[in-house]
Amino acid sequence: MGYLNAIIILGGINIIAALGVAIITGYTGLFTIGHAGFMALGGYACAILVTTFHVPFAIALIIGGLFAGLCSFIIGVPAFRSQLRGDYFAIATLGLSEAIRLILNTTYKVVGGAFGFMGMSNLTTVPVVVIAVILALFFAHMFVTSQYGKNCIAISQDEVAAQMMGVNLLRTKLIALFISAFYAGVAGGLMGFYMAYLSPSFFTITRSSDLLAAVVFGGIQSLIGPTITAFVLVAVPELLRVFSEWRLIVYGLLFVIIMLFRPQGLLGYVEMNFAFARRWWNAVFTPHQAKQGTIKGDQ
Amino acid sequence: MSDSIFAMKNVSSEEISLKNLSVQFGGVRAVDNFSMTLYPGELVGLIGPNGAGKTTVFNLITNYIKPTSGEIFFMGKSLLGKSPDEICRMGISRTFQNIRLFPQMTAYENVELGLHNVPHYSLLEAFVRTPRARRAEAETRKRALELLEMVNLKDFAGERASSLPYGLQRRLELARAMATSPTLLLLDEPAAGMNEDECNELVKLIRQIHEHMKYTIIMIEHHMNVVMELCKNSRIYVLNLGSLLAVGSPKEIQTNPQVIKAYLGERKHARYNSNAGSQ
Amino acid sequence: MDLFLQQVVSGISIGAIYSLLAVGYALVYSVYNFTNWAFDAFMAFGAFMAFYAISSFFLPFWVAAIISILLAIGMAVSTEKLAYRSLRLRKAPRLFMMISAMGANLAIVNLLNLFFGGQFRRFPVENIGTFSMGQVSVGRMDVLAGIISFGVLGLLWVFLYRTKPGLGIRASSIDILTASLMGINNDAVAFIIFAVTGVLSSVAGIFYGIKYAVYPTMGIVTIKAMIASIVGGLGSLPAAVVGSMLLGILETLVAGYISSTYRDLFSFLFLVIILLFFPNGLMGKSSDEKL
Ligand SMILES: Nc1ncnc2c1ncn2[C@@H]1O[C@H](COP(=O)(O)OP(=O)(O)O)[C@@H](O)[C@H]1O
Ligand SMILES: [Mg+2]
Repeated sequence: MGYLNAIIILGGINIIAALGVAIITGYTGLFTIGHAGFMALGGYACAILVTTFHVPFAIALIIGGLFAGLCSFIIGVPAFRSQLRGDYFAIATLGLSEAIRLILNTTYKVVGGAFGFMGMSNLTTVPVVVIAVILALFFAHMFVTSQYGKNCIAISQDEVAAQMMGVNLLRTKLIALFISAFYAGVAGGLMGFYMAYLSPSFFTITRSSDLLAAVVFGGIQSLIGPTITAFVLVAVPELLRVFSEWRLIVYGLLFVIIMLFRPQGLLGYVEMNFAFARRWWNAVFTPHQAKQGTIKGDQ
Repeated sequence: MSDSIFAMKNVSSEEISLKNLSVQFGGVRAVDNFSMTLYPGELVGLIGPNGAGKTTVFNLITNYIKPTSGEIFFMGKSLLGKSPDEICRMGISRTFQNIRLFPQMTAYENVELGLHNVPHYSLLEAFVRTPRARRAEAETRKRALELLEMVNLKDFAGERASSLPYGLQRRLELARAMATSPTLLLLDEPAAGMNEDECNELVKLIRQIHEHMKYTIIMIEHHMNVVMELCKNSRIYVLNLGSLLAVGSPKEIQTNPQVIKAYLGERKHARYNSNAGSQ
Repeated sequence: MDLFLQQVVSGISIGAIYSLLAVGYALVYSVYNFTNWAFDAFMAFGAFMAFYAISSFFLPFWVAAIISILLAIGMAVSTEKLAYRSLRLRKAPRLFMMISAMGANLAIVNLLNLFFGGQFRRFPVENIGTFSMGQVSVGRMDVLAGIISFGVLGLLWVFLYRTKPGLGIRASSIDILTASLMGINNDAVAFIIFAVTGVLSSVAGIFYGIKYAVYPTMGIVTIKAMIASIVGGLGSLPAAVVGSMLLGILETLVAGYISSTYRDLFSFLFLVIILLFFPNGLMGKSSDEKL
């Protein structure tokens, strides 16, 4: 049972962080390989708030997320001001996450340096994670279907046209980045209180690549796709330990293969709405004859 | 020759005026000391051989490209230093010579974007979708469908933009441009790639929206009958090698020897190029 | 003052290695408008090949270097063929190119890790010591790295500006479509460009491996080169060299006068500050997409 719990909790945390990446990469078209950095920011902030200042866990999670969101402006503002250069942003995210890890690794005073930050109790339980995932999905859905989210999608499809049609690029991208980093930060907070400690080594480029993998495999402009893959990607390596050595190699090859043959990912452009759920339900559970009936009915 | 037209109007009511605009790319003067003034509600043509700098004029107005020198005033305010999105929100919208729709979005979503380039509710309201936000969305939906209807695309509202035939994509771009509620509309070769019938239909459509919506319109166009027809009561600017070659009524332009020479020159050039290509 | 000179000399040698890498990014960017994220894998690959040529096959350094360069060329060219070409041909969005490149990078780096293990290895060359120039003692290997790096860049310059294929590449970097209409073979251009990145990454990998160590994730240092090419101005080769030398010297000074732990932090701060004041880099042009 403990094993299943671990998968649910780690899978849920991965879902929340991957939803953050889905918002910035999947919906806004900005490539990130540094979201582990935002997880670290949120995680450490949350841990310090709870252990040192005795802030309630839920509030500390939110403040940790907000902190990660604010820090994202350090790279968001300079990178987005130079337009049409998505590359700047990708490199800046990597640079920021490496810088954060370096600072955490060498600062022993408050955050414990390379030894990590310890002394947290196990507050991240299965119900907490399940509630957090449901809220995260709900709010992500609300955002991407809102006028803000649609402006993000427009930017991802044609930045010049979006700007010429009056969309403020800097503002819209910063909003998406803030929310995205907020999600990563909350995921980091949850992780610290599951592991009961935090170490800079949790937040390497490998974790960022894992998050990117969830979104690339799950599909761009989709929430449900990355949600499923984020969970599966945590569950599968746990179930098949031997796979772990080959995991990143396989991910890498899959990145290439998916871009070549199905760049929209498994569920790209699939909106998470009830129409989709109904279609899926029909496809899976409706008996064959009934399906034919509806098709005839439609005609 | 154009002085007589200008003299009738009050200077302070100018909608847009370009003053001695120049821009240089490397050594090439793509636009050279170009001036142009439009009054509210006018529809003027901008023509010239390929590479004359017509699209560059639009890029300068929308500040996609910064001018090397010169000034642009829109409703009395300078546009220099304003970003393209600000300029759009001030009331200038455009279409593109090479269609630039949002390919994976539906026709309806493309138009809708122009309407909510500035979202109609706050970010917090977006997360909980308050009744006010829902009302704003319903209002946007209604307006987007009206615009689609205006360009006869209502039946295609749910189609992906990239799956629409070329002619319809051009009309969709027009609807999207209209959605930003402009007062000045810049149309970059709206009839490009259309056949005779489609051109006639487009002329009707543009005239209709011009009269109905009271837009001021600058239209770049290569189909001479389209320009001559739409601008018959106003004037046409002719650009060549970045500078103004002539301005006047369609009749004056058609008989202007310099214009004829510039176009013939291009045709000769074109023939030369196609020969070179086939070798 | 001596310490200062010492740092500057050392900064120049690391800047020269960054230059090789930054020019590799800039070359690909100038023609294809995307950042070749697999580049750091090529670098690690080149370093490993030279390492094993010497330590397992006991080949002399120069032979090992040439073998490593040839293998890196093969790696770079086949990555282009497998991971980029069809995306490029169907004009896929840049995001897709970046993801594919990132995938190639992940796969190659982790294959190296699987085959060779993650430990740090000392590059098997003898220490050729230092010599003194006035008060300053200079590592001979640093000088060699600088000379060879600039030699390679000089050859590249001659190739680009004094030969016909070079002209083709420059034409493609201005407008790849027009260039192909004028009879320039796009596939040949791609082959040459990626072959050049193979050479650059392998040489950089070898010298970086000698200066520090050889390990699968050593390519992370290419982030410095990316930063350098952004600081200079993305897509321009001279700007990449200027950015690299600036970054190499400044970060060595930071390491010498403040603390070597803040060296990497500094390069990131440098990027952020430059982008704040020069949104397109020091020598970069603004938006260049024609409408
Ligand atoms: N962003 C740019 N960079 C360099 N040259 C440009 C750019 N935009 C346009 N030009 C050049 O300016 C000239 C005018 O182009 P354009 O305005 O597109 O002509 P057209 O009248 O056919 O619309 C052409 O020679 C073109 O190559
Ligand atoms: Mg044009």
